[in-house]
Amino acid sequence: MHMSDALLSPTVGLTMCAVSAGALAVSAARVQRSQLTRQKLPMMAVGGAFVFAAQMINFTIPGTGSSGHIGGGILLATLLGGGPALLALAAVLVVQCLFFADGGLLALGCNIFNMGVLPCLVVYPLVVRPLLCRGLTPRRLSAAALLGAVLGLQLGAFGVVLETQLSGITALPFGTFAALMQPIHLAIGLGEGLVTAGVLCFVARVQPEVLESTQQARPMEKTASVKKIAVLLLCLTAAVAGGLSLFASQNPDGLEWAVQAVAGSTELEAEGAVQEGAAALQEKTALMPDYDYADGEGNGTSTAGVVGSALTFTLAGGVGLALAAAKKRRAKQRAAKQG
Amino acid sequence: MKPIAEQLGQLTRLEELAGQNSPIHRLHPGAKLAATGVYLLCVLSLGRLQFGRLTPYLLYPVVVLSLAEVPLGLVLRRAALALPFCAFAGLSNLLLERQVLLWLGPVPVTVGLASCGVLLLRALLCVSAVLALAAVTPFGHLTGQLRRMRMPSFCVALLEMLYRYLGLLAGQAGSMLTAYRLRGGSGTGLPVGHMGSFIGQLLLRSTARAQRVYQAMECRGGFTGGSAAQKRPFTRNDWLYLAAVCLPCLAARAVDLPLLLGRLFVC
Repeated sequence: MHMSDALLSPTVGLTMCAVSAGALAVSAARVQRSQLTRQKLPMMAVGGAFVFAAQMINFTIPGTGSSGHIGGGILLATLLGGGPALLALAAVLVVQCLFFADGGLLALGCNIFNMGVLPCLVVYPLVVRPLLCRGLTPRRLSAAALLGAVLGLQLGAFGVVLETQLSGITALPFGTFAALMQPIHLAIGLGEGLVTAGVLCFVARVQPEVLESTQQARPMEKTASVKKIAVLLLCLTAAVAGGLSLFASQNPDGLEWAVQAVAGSTELEAEGAVQEGAAALQEKTALMPDYDYADGEGNGTSTAGVVGSALTFTLAGGVGLALAAAKKRRAKQRAAKQG
Repeated sequence: MKPIAEQLGQLTRLEELAGQNSPIHRLHPGAKLAATGVYLLCVLSLGRLQFGRLTPYLLYPVVVLSLAEVPLGLVLRRAALALPFCAFAGLSNLLLERQVLLWLGPVPVTVGLASCGVLLLRALLCVSAVLALAAVTPFGHLTGQLRRMRMPSFCVALLEMLYRYLGLLAGQAGSMLTAYRLRGGSGTGLPVGHMGSFIGQLLLRSTARAQRVYQAMECRGGFTGGSAAQKRPFTRNDWLYLAAVCLPCLAARAVDLPLLLGRLFVC
């Protein structure tokens, strides 16, 4: 569900960056005000590392030809609380963006919102936490995990659809896009829910005070050890990294599957208020309107544009080659002098 | 999907590249971050059919990566990972928008093809710019800059710890696997019967090291601010770099440079 920069317009990207930044600021302020023990900070980092590893592994969704990966928002929120979980997830998304080209820099706001804010600050306090406040039984934990994961992913997938449509980049109609994204992410959500339920039930059995302190929003007793929980998360990280990666699915993820399905379907007319609104919004953000490729009146313009583009391509490549050659020449001269 | 150890090796590779010494590496991280931001905004603000106007923006990643001596192939391979995703998104444009935009000789170029091409080029440019930033700026400098930008220190500390833990996990697994193989273990991977004790050992060692890493980072003031060497004001070179990137980006955004260039050769 990681969105690329190319799928967004600057307006949508910057707006979502501002929204996510606000949510992160509020969460950070709450974390610093609360009596979050120093034990939880390594826990947040280890949890983030586990989610990072888990997001690299796709699991196949039977019968669909698609695959998905867990988001980890509900798992982290239940273990750490909504605010700390959002911060940990944001850190994961930043690292993925910078070093793995998984999601764009401008799209960070959208990705943090879809995969962090919605599960951790919306679904967790409104759905998961009320379910768990009556007791941390395996049945309640499983139900809360399943429901939370499904709802979190549904909202996140809908967020992707809305943000892409508002950007006006793709010609996919809103209804079709949503109708394809939601069911596939329902299946992914069920898978994530099962994984989350398994982890939470283990934690509740081994170290219930971790969950209890989070649910009751009180600091953990200093005698409580998070080592076992950190061990579990690292165990799962290592298992996912070393073992499950061998079985990772090669199928396209939910968004790719949705677009492929549209490609295979009958032709659709791209019309609707959202499309028109998105086109109007994009016209306003452009300093100059789309340049004239000409419909017969300006063939010279289109030819000049094509020739100019080709020349610019060549120029860029030539600059790169020239710089590389200059570097090689200097390196040879230095080596010759030292020799 | 590659094993995580291989993917984490890419992290190490980028970190090694970021530790080199070149004119680009020596620039202030704030200048590089700001330049990348302006570049991305200019690229993304172009219209969905303005393929030609995107081409001048190829110069930035090409020049920066060449001056920084970062292998272009490495960046292109990483960027290629993001392209299929955008290609699938652009595929809908290709099939839904079939009006002919122009003719390249006998070949019709439809609106869908043009917008799909723009999408792919935008993706390539954006990913290259971000990877270029990561390849010329050590992670510690980036987090130091985030602190100077008044980002909550708690958040920056979390980012630093997460980054450390990823490398820690991969490094520990690698050395244990080497030791296992040197002791006559199977060359094609761990047998199932050994996985339990292997993972258990990995966990215990990683957890203990993680706690020590956290305490060491705290003792070194790792969560209170960047080192004194990182706290330096913008120099003349930093401002020159910022101007050299931002002004051409804004100029290419305001004026259709490829069209002007093409008009020199086409009547």
